[in-house]
Amino acid sequence: MKTLLTASALALAAATATAQTEIRVHYAIPTIWAETQAALEEAFEAENPDIDIVIDGPAENYGEGVQRLLREAVAGDLPDVAWVGLNRWRILEARGLTQPLDPFLPEDTDAAGYTDALLSLGQYQGTQHALGTSASTLVMYVNPDLVERAGYSMDDFPTDYDGIIELAAAIDDLGDSIDGIWIDRHDWRFQSLLGGYGGRPMTADESDIAFDSEAGKQAAALYARFASEGGMKSYIDDQARQAYPAGTLGIMMDSSALLKRFTEAAGDRFPVTVVRLPVPEPETAYFPTGGSGIVMLTEDEEKQQAAWEYISFVTGPEGQKIIVENTGYAPTNALVLEDESYLGAYYEANPNARTAHSQVAEFAGPWFAYPGAEGVAVTDLIAAALVEITEGDAEPAPRIEALADTLRDRLGMN
Amino acid sequence: MRLPRTARERATDLWLAGPAILAMAVLIFAPVAIVAVLSFTDYQFGARTFHWIGWENYATLFTDPVGRKAMTNTLIYVAVVIPFAMGLALVVALGLHALAERFPRISATLRAAYFLPVAATLVAMALAWQMLLHPSIGLVNQILGGLGLPAPDWLSDRGLVIYTLAAIGIWQSVGYNMVLFLAGLAAIPPDLYEAAEVDGATQGWERFWTVTWPMLGPTTLFVAVITATQAFRVFETVATLTRGGPAFASDTLVYALYREGFEYFKAGYASAITMVFFVLMVALTLAQFRVLERRVHYR
Repeated sequence: MKTLLTASALALAAATATAQTEIRVHYAIPTIWAETQAALEEAFEAENPDIDIVIDGPAENYGEGVQRLLREAVAGDLPDVAWVGLNRWRILEARGLTQPLDPFLPEDTDAAGYTDALLSLGQYQGTQHALGTSASTLVMYVNPDLVERAGYSMDDFPTDYDGIIELAAAIDDLGDSIDGIWIDRHDWRFQSLLGGYGGRPMTADESDIAFDSEAGKQAAALYARFASEGGMKSYIDDQARQAYPAGTLGIMMDSSALLKRFTEAAGDRFPVTVVRLPVPEPETAYFPTGGSGIVMLTEDEEKQQAAWEYISFVTGPEGQKIIVENTGYAPTNALVLEDESYLGAYYEANPNARTAHSQVAEFAGPWFAYPGAEGVAVTDLIAAALVEITEGDAEPAPRIEALADTLRDRLGMN
Repeated sequence: MRLPRTARERATDLWLAGPAILAMAVLIFAPVAIVAVLSFTDYQFGARTFHWIGWENYATLFTDPVGRKAMTNTLIYVAVVIPFAMGLALVVALGLHALAERFPRISATLRAAYFLPVAATLVAMALAWQMLLHPSIGLVNQILGGLGLPAPDWLSDRGLVIYTLAAIGIWQSVGYNMVLFLAGLAAIPPDLYEAAEVDGATQGWERFWTVTWPMLGPTTLFVAVITATQAFRVFETVATLTRGGPAFASDTLVYALYREGFEYFKAGYASAITMVFFVLMVALTLAQFRVLERRVHYR
C-alpha cells in the first residue's frame, strides 16, 4: 500500500513537472473530419510535447457546431480553438467571441503561404478573425459518356456559358430520363456565378446590396437559361446528387468538396470528370470559397500562444498535407501547391483534385455573409427568388432588382 | 363536519406531491414562461443584449409572406391528413376485424404490416421515400412513365410538395389509428349486433350505421384529436425531405420554428412561433380531455 501511494505521488509530481498546456479543440462533421483530426492531433503533439490537444465530441455539422459554441459561450465554457464553416465564423465574430489573429501572424505572410486571397477568407474590416483550413469552390462535374453520346468531345469542352448551355441541351435531348445540367438555387451558387462575371453581392463596406448590377442580372439569366434551354429540372440538392452518380445528369455544378463522394458513388458507371467554371470576366472574377476555417476563442494569454502554435500547424504546409490527403478539400496554404514535395504524388493520382484545387488557388475569395440579425434568413429569400426565376415565374432582371430591394429592407440598408 | 387535518398529514401530502410539482415547475412551467418572455424581444441566440419589441414578432408571423406560408401549409397538411388518416384506418380496421374471424393468421400478418410504418424510424423511412419519389430515377415515376402517365416532381413541384408530404404523413399514421379502431371494434358487445338483427338490420351497411359507427364514436373522436396533434407537429419529413423548400412551399409551423431559431438564430421570433404552436396544442389537449370525459359518460 505504501509503495502504491509513493508511486502515485511520484507520478503526480512528474506530471506537474512537465506542465502541459491543454488546448480544447472543437470541430464538426465527423464523417469527413474524424480521422483527419486524429492524424493532425498526433502529428502536432509529436512536434509539441508540451501542448496537449483535447478534442471535444464533434458536432454533426457546421450549423450545429456554431449553435453549440454559442451555448458554450453563454455557459462560459468555450473551447480554446474551433473549426467552423467559412461562412459561419462571422456569427462568432459578431458576438465578440473570436480573438484577432493579427498579433500572431508572421511579418511576411506570403512567405508562410498565407496569400492575400487566402487571408481574405477570414478577414472582416481589416482584422484577421479566422484562417482557412480547407477550401472548396463551385466546379462542374461532367459525365464524359453523355458528352460523347451527345456528339461532343471532352477534349474541346466549351469554355463559355453559351457553349455549355448548347452542350447541356444536346445531352438533354438524349432521352426523357437524362438531364442536361443542374445547379442548386442557393446563395453560394449564385454568388459563384456572380463572381465569375466579376460582380459582388455587397459593396466592400457592406452598407449596400450590389448584386443588382449587370453581373448579377447575367448570373440570374444563366439560371433561367439553364432551365429553359439546358433542361435543368427543379431537383432539390439530394435528388441531383443521386442523379449525377447514377449517370442521368450530364453537367452538375456543385462544390469541389463533393469530388470524393461522387467518385465513389459513380463507381465503374462512368469516369467522374471535373471541369473548371467558365470565367467570363477574368480581370475581376473570384469564386466565393466554402470549406472550413479555424478561430481562436481563448482569452487566456498563455493559452493563446499554445493555441496559435496549433493554428499555425494546421494551416501550415504539414497540417495542410494531412488535410488534403484525408478529406480531398483544397489546401489553404500556397506552399503546399508551390512545392511539389508535399502533394505532388497525390495530385498525380488525383487529376480531378488538381483541376479543382487550381481553381481555388487562382480565384479564392470570401463567401459573403449578409450582416445583422436577418443575415442568414435573407439567403433563403435569395434561394426562393432563384426558384421563381428557373421555373419561369419571374423574369431574371426585374426579379433580381426586387430581391435586392427586399434585402435592403430586411437588412436595414435603406 | 370534517376534522381539521394534522400538520403531519399535510407534511406527508407535500412530501408526496412536492417533488412532482417542483419537477413540473422547473421543467415545464419555467421554460414556457421564459419562452413567453423571449417572444416579446429581439433576442438573438448567443447575443449579449436584447430589446423589448412588444407584439412585433407575432405581427410578423401573421403578416410576413413566409410566416403566413408556414401557417397555411400547416393547415393544408392537417386538413388533408386528418380525414384520410382516419378514413383509411377505419376501413382497414373494419376489414381486418372481419377477416380475423375466418382467417386469424392473415389478419394478424396484415395488422403487423400496417403497423410497420409506426414502428419504423421516420427519418430512415423518409430517405426511402426520397429514393422512391426521385423525379427521374425513382421507382414511382418509372412505373408511371412505363404506364404512359405524366411523372410529376413530387418533392420539388411547389404546388404539389405539401400534398406529397401529407400522403407520407397519412401512410405513417394509418397503422396507429388502425390499432385504436381495432380496440374500439373489439369492445363492441356482440349482443348489440344480435339485437340489431332482431330489429331488422340484416345488411352490412345497416349494421354499420346503427351499431358500429355510434359505438365507435368516442374512439373516433379520440383518434381525431391524436391525428390532429401529430399532424400539427409535422417536422421530420419536412426536415429530411425538403427542408421547407422549394421556395418555402413546404414550410410548416414547427419547421419554421426550427429554422428561425436554430438556423437564423432569431430566438425571439422562434419563441413567438413556439407560443402560437403552444396555444394550438393546449387547445387540442383540452379538447382531448373533454373527449375522454365524454367517452366515460357514454358507457
